[in-house]
Amino acid sequence: MRGLWVRFGEVAAVQGVDLEVGAGHATALLGRNGAGKSTTMRVLAGVVPPTAGEVYVGGTDVARDPMSVKLRTGYCPDVGGLVPRATPWEHLQLAARLRRMTAWEPRARDLLERFALGDVAHRVTSGFSHGMSRRLSVVLAAFHEPEVLLLDEPFDGVDPLGVEATMEAIGDACARGATVVVSTHLRELAMAACEVALVLRGGAQVAALPAAELAGEEGAGVYRALLG
Amino acid sequence: MSTARSSAERGPVGGARAAVADVRALLQLRRAGLPERGRRRLRWAALLVGALTVGAAAGPAYLGGPMPRADAGNVLALLPSMALAFLVLAVVAVVAAAGGRELLPREEAVAFPVSTTADHLGALLLAPLNVAWLLQSWLLLGATSYAVGPDRLPAALLPVVLWVLLATALAQAVGWCVEGVRRGPRGARRFRIALALMVAAAAGVVATGQQTALLDRAPTGVVLDAVLAGAGGLWWPWAAYVVALAAGCLAAVSVGVLPARWALHRPMRAELGLEAGRHPARSDARSDLAALVRVDRASVWRSVPLRRGIAVLAVLPGLVAMAGGTPWHLATVLPGLVAAGGALLFGVNAWCLDARGALWRESLPVAPRTVFVARSLVLLELLLGAGLVTVLLVAVGSGLPSPPEAVAVTACLAVVCVQVVAAGLRWSQARPYAVDLRSARATPAPPVVMVGYSARLALCTTTTALVFTGLAWIGSVPLVLAIAVAMLAWSGRRWERTALAWADPVSRARVVACVSG
Repeated sequence: MRGLWVRFGEVAAVQGVDLEVGAGHATALLGRNGAGKSTTMRVLAGVVPPTAGEVYVGGTDVARDPMSVKLRTGYCPDVGGLVPRATPWEHLQLAARLRRMTAWEPRARDLLERFALGDVAHRVTSGFSHGMSRRLSVVLAAFHEPEVLLLDEPFDGVDPLGVEATMEAIGDACARGATVVVSTHLRELAMAACEVALVLRGGAQVAALPAAELAGEEGAGVYRALLG
Repeated sequence: MSTARSSAERGPVGGARAAVADVRALLQLRRAGLPERGRRRLRWAALLVGALTVGAAAGPAYLGGPMPRADAGNVLALLPSMALAFLVLAVVAVVAAAGGRELLPREEAVAFPVSTTADHLGALLLAPLNVAWLLQSWLLLGATSYAVGPDRLPAALLPVVLWVLLATALAQAVGWCVEGVRRGPRGARRFRIALALMVAAAAGVVATGQQTALLDRAPTGVVLDAVLAGAGGLWWPWAAYVVALAAGCLAAVSVGVLPARWALHRPMRAELGLEAGRHPARSDARSDLAALVRVDRASVWRSVPLRRGIAVLAVLPGLVAMAGGTPWHLATVLPGLVAAGGALLFGVNAWCLDARGALWRESLPVAPRTVFVARSLVLLELLLGAGLVTVLLVAVGSGLPSPPEAVAVTACLAVVCVQVVAAGLRWSQARPYAVDLRSARATPAPPVVMVGYSARLALCTTTTALVFTGLAWIGSVPLVLAIAVAMLAWSGRRWERTALAWADPVSRARVVACVSG
């Protein structure tokens, strides 16, 4: 991704962000509210078209061929991300159908169990807690073993077991050679999951540095300084 | 331990004052959320409604021809029945809306200490934001104005205005009572049994031909007495009627607070029941379109307000037409009425069905057109299904239609459904709103916007219905079919234009971002 700009009318949500993540690596997007993290993730998922700049996901131009990008990515949106009156199983069934997956049921069951959602697989998601919704969103993103895994606030309100399961999903994705991008406010978790961190401020990129430099007490000070 | 009221608690008067202040604050909050263009539109709409109300109240008196009017007696004789119909339809509207509309949607109101009294007053305030309420009020005012003439018109109209307010307040109180029962243990079953008994009783009255005698004894005769007293210059009886109606109005508003508190403090059993229920897995869909339609259908049928709305729309107009023995050439009006009502359940903001799941759905690899077709099909089948039930009920009451009448009604049903689908999706694309249709009181757009949508849909479908009524009267089947094909082609073109707008990634991203909140 080079020089990404996203405008909503007069407002520029993203102003010239560059990002390059290799296969088998995980990168964290950090920044305050309104820094442009979620908009960047939406562009990578093919949900929001870029206003300017070059964005390639798995070698495919997002602006030219968003359908191929959607086939290659698995996206966990920052807000909700679930159809309120559909069950987790129906979400997975729809995803499997549209992604042309066969014999998907064992993996679906396994993921639901790993994320402690097996008991509620056939209940509508409108009754879910915030943490349950987040966990299911991660399941849906990781379900088809995408080439690019995009997780926007995957740890928000999630219990320790859910965090562990998400960490495992990120680790599994990296191990099979997928590219992972995680956007979060939880710096320590991001540093545990990723190797590189990109810090955004006011829609613009202010730093790209190894995760180790943002870890621990010392990293907290560096991060605070970058947020301004 | 003393259970006396603490200093932090308010008495009935203090509570009412605080509730009025809360309602004012909530109205200001809603107004603040409108862009300048929206506020301008709102001012124009309020002016238009005011002008139409004055026109309905004064126009027939001055423009109805020389006095005395020959048919004034007949019009006045119908006034008690019309007043009763107003009350019945107001009750139906409140019951169908699970206690009426909310000034602030429930999910937004959780951060504010909105009392049940404020909720009750807000629902009352929003009750007139309904085309059926407005049209019926204008009808009552217009009929009175026509029959009485210009002399002493304000005195004759005042009791009618007070009756409209009293009936609205009474309907609200009844609506809260019904909602309280529904939210209780086995509430849904109790409500259905009571409804079935009422329908059976109404059917019995119609079957025995007692409806005219019953209507003549309706307590709403008091409205006619008050109108006649005002028109005849009998000031003491008129003043007594006016005071009684005004006192009744105040009493109904005040008493309505009690069932409102009772109902609103009970758990939302229907919604919770749907959320706690299990929906077993089904076999895989055979195509992308079928898979999308299945999820969209689930979003409709698992939503309490949509289920209730569809049931009311499918059955109520048909039952009324059946009871009244509506002739077939007039039955063409009904499919339009049902289709317009159906679109107002969610069709005017069709993408809100996905709510916060819109972002995830948009990330799935499927052609935008397939998504658009699926949503259109689900809306269309709902409107056609409800319209068909209505037509079948008409057939029970009126027997078999002649071939031209059958073709006209069928063609009208098809045309209005396609018209409404095209209009609904166009508005859904142009003005999406983030709405959670979970609560039985939820509407797909803010109440003021809903009035605009319902007025436009009513105008469009009624005009179409009148065209087909005329065609049924002419009796030419080829002509009916030719006009129907032309109208379908026109609506199809508009639908296609919206489909193209949906296919544009920028336009679609705006809608998706908006409905996902």
